[in-house]
Amino acid sequence: MLKMLKLATCAVALLVAGTISSANAGDTLTIGLATGQTGGLAPYDGPAIEGFQIAVDEINGAGGIGGNIMIKMISKDTRSDAAQTSIAAQELLEMGIDILVTPSDADPAFAAAALATDAKVPAFSPAASSPTLPLMGGDFMFANFPGDNVQATVSAEWAYGEGFRNAYILYSPDTQYTTLPLYFSDVWKVLGGTVAGEGTYVMGQQDFSAEVTKIKALNPPVDVIMTAAYEPDFPAFIRQLRSAGVTAQVIGSDGIDSPTTFSLGDAGDGVVFSTAGHALPGSALEEFNNKFKATYGRDADTIFAAIGYDLMKVIEAGVLAAGSTDSVAIRDAVANLENVQGVTSVITYKGTTGMPVRQVSLIRVKGGDRELVAQPSPTASLVPAPRMQ
Amino acid sequence: MDSDLAVFIQQTVNAISLGGTYALLALGLAIIFSIMGMINFAHGELMTITGYTLMYCGLAGLPFYISAPLAMMVAVVSAVLMERIAFRPVRGGSPASMLVTSFAVAIILQTLFQNLISPRSKAVPLPDVFAHSIHFGELSIGINQILSISLTVVILVTLNWFLRKTILGMAMRAAAEDFSVARLMGVKANAVISGAFAISGALAGAAGVLWVAQRASVDPHMGFVPVLKAFIAAILGGLGSLTGAVAGGFALGFIEIYLAAYLPDHIQPFKEALALGLVILVLLFRPNGLIPAATVGREKV
Repeated sequence: MLKMLKLATCAVALLVAGTISSANAGDTLTIGLATGQTGGLAPYDGPAIEGFQIAVDEINGAGGIGGNIMIKMISKDTRSDAAQTSIAAQELLEMGIDILVTPSDADPAFAAAALATDAKVPAFSPAASSPTLPLMGGDFMFANFPGDNVQATVSAEWAYGEGFRNAYILYSPDTQYTTLPLYFSDVWKVLGGTVAGEGTYVMGQQDFSAEVTKIKALNPPVDVIMTAAYEPDFPAFIRQLRSAGVTAQVIGSDGIDSPTTFSLGDAGDGVVFSTAGHALPGSALEEFNNKFKATYGRDADTIFAAIGYDLMKVIEAGVLAAGSTDSVAIRDAVANLENVQGVTSVITYKGTTGMPVRQVSLIRVKGGDRELVAQPSPTASLVPAPRMQ
Repeated sequence: MDSDLAVFIQQTVNAISLGGTYALLALGLAIIFSIMGMINFAHGELMTITGYTLMYCGLAGLPFYISAPLAMMVAVVSAVLMERIAFRPVRGGSPASMLVTSFAVAIILQTLFQNLISPRSKAVPLPDVFAHSIHFGELSIGINQILSISLTVVILVTLNWFLRKTILGMAMRAAAEDFSVARLMGVKANAVISGAFAISGALAGAAGVLWVAQRASVDPHMGFVPVLKAFIAAILGGLGSLTGAVAGGFALGFIEIYLAAYLPDHIQPFKEALALGLVILVLLFRPNGLIPAATVGREKV
């Protein structure tokens, strides 16, 4: 009997709690964050959520979105695991969140995308760059980063313009993102360059001596090597490549926008990679980096912190345009956003399938620091269609 | 020299270097298994500890020739402490409870690294010389590979001498043969087991230095892949047999490098699966491994 009474009390309490939260729905935007704060994605999701938090604090400090909608965050760590991501996303969706933030890699983001689409809650990945994510993830899935196909086009056009002609690509079929070099290969062939080989690696394999020996034995020698490998694979690869005496230009992508890349000494010098922005003196990004340092007491040593900040600015613009916290209205508003001013770039979703149009920066590693190479716009006709797998 | 031949020799050097690292790792697992009948899955975390020690030494500005031996020493101390704190209370328990204990130790350590140091990977400063190599005609051997091959040789020779010529070494061999009889002969169980953990710590430390010198960074989960490779190598060689562990390590290194070197590009994505397939094939014909231990199936402490 006592047990029944307890149950009944719980049920009443839940009902009351439910009514209260829905009564407040007009002035609170609840954002559920299911991101990889530990594990392999921590170098990306960690800074992204730190930047996101800065934007949330700023907006709430000014009275909320539009002066009346306060933001509430609920965070769950997915340990960078796809299964754990879908569990965390499910729990957050059951709590009645208005917006879901997924991990920064397309593969675990896919695990959450289907759930968000079913629940009609817009989901955003801070830094996933696979153009297939919003296409296969459903109408409610948005990305927040220049697409792999766009980054690859920018890199290929730059390398071709530098006079390189004989390329080698190294990719891993293990994740969507690590197949980025296949886009590079497509663009490279259209431009008129030759692809001397397409090598593969297993993520985490660490020993690249066999691959490096093959690259070194190529005749004629390659003058440019493109890979989307990231930590710990990229540092291991570039060190072994340089150690074998191969001096070809190496091009990477946003995954190596991390402190380790800048601490590789001689081996890392001269590497060029595509990423989402560069802090020129006086730029909004530089201002954000100062803000980050004032908040956390250390440098924002990767672009992903600013990317997290921009994601919150996109959500803010979407809520303002929707005029409410209704999930479906926000989804429709975001899909039609144009020229949102972020700290890394101007961001447009209108006319896309959920992969935003934003600027790509090419960065060179020089003396352990960043040097801006170019911020070119890719030739639209060269950008390959997303590769559905 | 014919260039195909030059490439073949180069790939063989690569295989010896990688196989050497695997051999050190597998040996670390085998030495514990031969005496206690336990697979220590926290072996990889000893490598991570080595990596973090290298990182902190680098930040403190210590030169590599001091920080590397220091990092190995930290791994030895950690291994002995690991045994004293976690494994001694379950000694003599079922193999399953020892296995689960080692998983628990691994996860606790990973969580500590994550919460006390950083969940993100940390750069380890290394001397630039590690990204250089020595050229012999068309052949180029990385300083890293030279370090790996020479360290493996030195450790194998020293370990062989230790096990054959010293009292503790002979006691350990006796314990591996038959622990109960060895104890009746006056061999102290605690000394033998602590000694075995100290050696496995030194092996993990050496492998850790080589591993980190290759990747130049350390993160809380760094130990997972190498301990998995070590486990495969130890099984391939014959679990509990020290010679087998070395043979298994080298065999795995050769299989991985030759597959990566000579499979056509379009089959390359399957190289990991093919490598494990070959390991299974070997085990089908030699179920106890390449060089099985003499005491397979005998009761341990």
